[in-house]
Amino acid sequence: MGNDTATAPRLAHVEIDTATTPDAALEAARSAQAIDIRFPAFKDGRGYSLAALIRESGFAGELRATGDILPDQKDYLTRTGFDVIAPDDGSPRWARTSFTHAYQPGLAKGANDRVPAYRARALAIRKAQVEALNQQYGDAAPETIIAVAVEVFEGRIAMLSSFGIEAALGLALLAQVDRSVPVVFLDTQRHFPQTLSYRDELVSHLGLEDVRILTPDPAEARAADNDGKLFERDGEACCDLRKVRPLNAGLEGFDAVITGRKRAHGGGRQALQPFEFDGERVKINPVAGLAPADIAALYREMKLPAHPLSTQGYTSVGCWPCTAPSSGAHARDGRWPGSDRSECGIFDPVRMARADAARKRAVRLIG
Amino acid sequence: MYRYDEIDRSIVTERVEEFREQVGARLSGALSEDQFKPLRLMNGVYLQLHAYMLRVAIPYGTLDARQMRVLAHIARHYDKGYGHFTTRQNIQYNWPALVDIPEILEQLADVEMHAIQTSGNCIRNTTTDPFAGAAQDEVEDPRPWCELIRQWSTFHPEFTFLPRKFKIAVTGSDADRAAIGVHDIGLKLVKNEAGETGFEVHAGGGQGRTPRVAVKLRDFLPKGELLAYLTAIMRVYNLAGQRDNIYKARIKILVETMGAQAFTAEVEAMYRQLRGRDLAVPAEEAARITSFFPEPSPVDRPEGVSDAPGFARWRAINVKPHKVPGRAIVVISLKPRAGSPGDATAEQMDAVAFLAERYADGEIRVTKEQNLVIPHAVAAHLPAIYEGLREAGLSTANAGLASDIVTCPGLDYCSLANARSIPVAQALSAALIDRGLDEDTQDLTIKISGCINACGHHHIANIGLLGVDKKGDEVYQLTLGGVADNGAAIGKILGPGLTPDEAVEAVAACVGVFRRERGDGETFTHTLARIGFEPFKEAVYGQ
Repeated sequence: MGNDTATAPRLAHVEIDTATTPDAALEAARSAQAIDIRFPAFKDGRGYSLAALIRESGFAGELRATGDILPDQKDYLTRTGFDVIAPDDGSPRWARTSFTHAYQPGLAKGANDRVPAYRARALAIRKAQVEALNQQYGDAAPETIIAVAVEVFEGRIAMLSSFGIEAALGLALLAQVDRSVPVVFLDTQRHFPQTLSYRDELVSHLGLEDVRILTPDPAEARAADNDGKLFERDGEACCDLRKVRPLNAGLEGFDAVITGRKRAHGGGRQALQPFEFDGERVKINPVAGLAPADIAALYREMKLPAHPLSTQGYTSVGCWPCTAPSSGAHARDGRWPGSDRSECGIFDPVRMARADAARKRAVRLIG
Repeated sequence: MYRYDEIDRSIVTERVEEFREQVGARLSGALSEDQFKPLRLMNGVYLQLHAYMLRVAIPYGTLDARQMRVLAHIARHYDKGYGHFTTRQNIQYNWPALVDIPEILEQLADVEMHAIQTSGNCIRNTTTDPFAGAAQDEVEDPRPWCELIRQWSTFHPEFTFLPRKFKIAVTGSDADRAAIGVHDIGLKLVKNEAGETGFEVHAGGGQGRTPRVAVKLRDFLPKGELLAYLTAIMRVYNLAGQRDNIYKARIKILVETMGAQAFTAEVEAMYRQLRGRDLAVPAEEAARITSFFPEPSPVDRPEGVSDAPGFARWRAINVKPHKVPGRAIVVISLKPRAGSPGDATAEQMDAVAFLAERYADGEIRVTKEQNLVIPHAVAAHLPAIYEGLREAGLSTANAGLASDIVTCPGLDYCSLANARSIPVAQALSAALIDRGLDEDTQDLTIKISGCINACGHHHIANIGLLGVDKKGDEVYQLTLGGVADNGAAIGKILGPGLTPDEAVEAVAACVGVFRRERGDGETFTHTLARIGFEPFKEAVYGQ
């Protein structure tokens, strides 16, 4: 992170040519505001790969193609990340239109490039599948919804669990279906110790075989929360650091996530369907329709251990700085008390997408 | 068979429109031949010795009856009544007029075909096992992955101006009928210890002037990461491949110069950067493409028998076992005695289309041996298929025999060639068949190239001929010991160059030595390893 605030001042403008090494091109990306890549001959395709490397490194400045360029190459240049095409021979003798669709991911600036065909198709299929699943299983029992989801999304599904007050139910139902399905837990390093011991107790009690604990990136944590008081200054930034970004990275490879969200939580959750498509992933909310009384009954019936804090007035548990006991109408009234916030952001596609963009930049610059 | 959706259709039709404008500009003089050249090359249009040549892509050698009929129509209306099936599972037309080419491309687009990237320094048509989806020995059908590669490589923004052309082959079986060892990238579907299917990845193979067998980069690549890994290989090559010498520009030279280990390390590092996210193959898309390639249904009928003349021999030689009961793989030889290898007339193409539709499921394949295949024939109909092929002049029973000779077009058509290959193949096929040397030579391969570019695959022939120009004379070098499939190997030169007539006699003599010397169940490679080059030298050059 923080690549845009490098210590050395950025050079306004750097020219490289197609013989430039990848390392030198990445150095230019770190130090310049604008880069020209010169093509000595239109057949010399190295410039396309250099542009791709530069863009993938997070370079957001202007990228210009100069030299010997055929106007027919415009689409290829734009899609590897060039903003400006300035051939030496001036005006194009031939203006080629671009294609409506593309088979590959593109790097055109502003993320407005065409989605590769394989992703566009897959997301359309995913969306239609969610609609069909809601049609068929909209009123199904939680265990049915979990079983169907695990079968349909086999190998690319995980359960996200807070190991909070109501979490044991979803975990127990999952364990009945398949103990090997990964369970993802966000260790924000701000949890109540009771949550951590409860997590370990539940994992062994239910025999969960693949629990993945996600922690904040240490370098990011040092930079953004050196004094450990970020939650006081900017709660949303703290959630981004400790939940949104780690989860974004941790969910890579998973196309479907089982959550424990319920309509009874109120707020934006009142219209929750069992299957949801967020434009990228499928979210499965098997217990969405359960009322607090149903949950309590199921805990008794299944002899599930209770979270230690449930006897101390807590109806929903998050991080200790932002959670209080609650006697309000909704279980999550004790979260972010005294603030208008009701969600940490991990279910917000916009904040997840922002985290993804930041992560792509970070990954490239490490290399 | 894969079918286009809206996205595929729009990409191909927009390309036809674009090329129509480019041809218009060339015909009006707005574009010079020099300026037009890179544009036409990307669309499969070559300027040959006598005329423009159009190479049409047959994706991974798979087509259906409807598409074959359009290929026949093009041969009839825009060419001289025939087409030439190539060693890269494509078809070439040697005599189309430039002004007609946009119209031809439009007719191809109507049946979901194109000529995109059949030439130029870009990723060419992906090739595969012509028995894919039918072979008994395959781990998995490679065609869905070929289709994925076809799409990903079409108009790739980063990899369309490579140092040199680039060829990818995929096989689904150990027998490797796709010659992955002599491709820029060779992929083999394998199972890992956990029972998952993935790819064994090879790169840096190739023929031409500097024949090399590919090195293995990876034992197992998860299928969903195929595009990330291919992108990594392509990027390393695109950035570091030599560009100042056309003869050193292929990836095989880069792999050799860097060393297999360093090259692999660079690819793996790039792959770690690229894997996941945008380049991950979504499970839904893999499933969607795979759904176009269902296993053919079994047929509960006994295999057909016939006492028609020649049927039994044809059945024994040209029909291969199928993985599904009641079906058979029929190889249609395009190598009649003294014929021009790989050529088929419009009428023959129509006949194959009819037989594939009537007696199978309509599917047809093109092989790198320049033959055709009806992969899912109903075995009960074998007599009717044989009869239909016989009427069309396509019942030559020599699939995989010595006279099933592979050749490039050579000096009769090609502007690169140094020597003719077709007349040599014709004389040789007649000699082998007439002298009875063809019998019992299953899997003996003979291939002829008219120049060092090796389009006739002579390097990987058991017996290869390479035409060279020696002070204006056509001279042929004879090589022995090449292997195309399953453990590729490059043949070695036997001795001094030969005249065309001598070359024919020399190859016939080598076939004779093999027939005389081979032990039980031995292939040519085994026999050669056991007896060495001397007996062949003696037969060819005397004492």
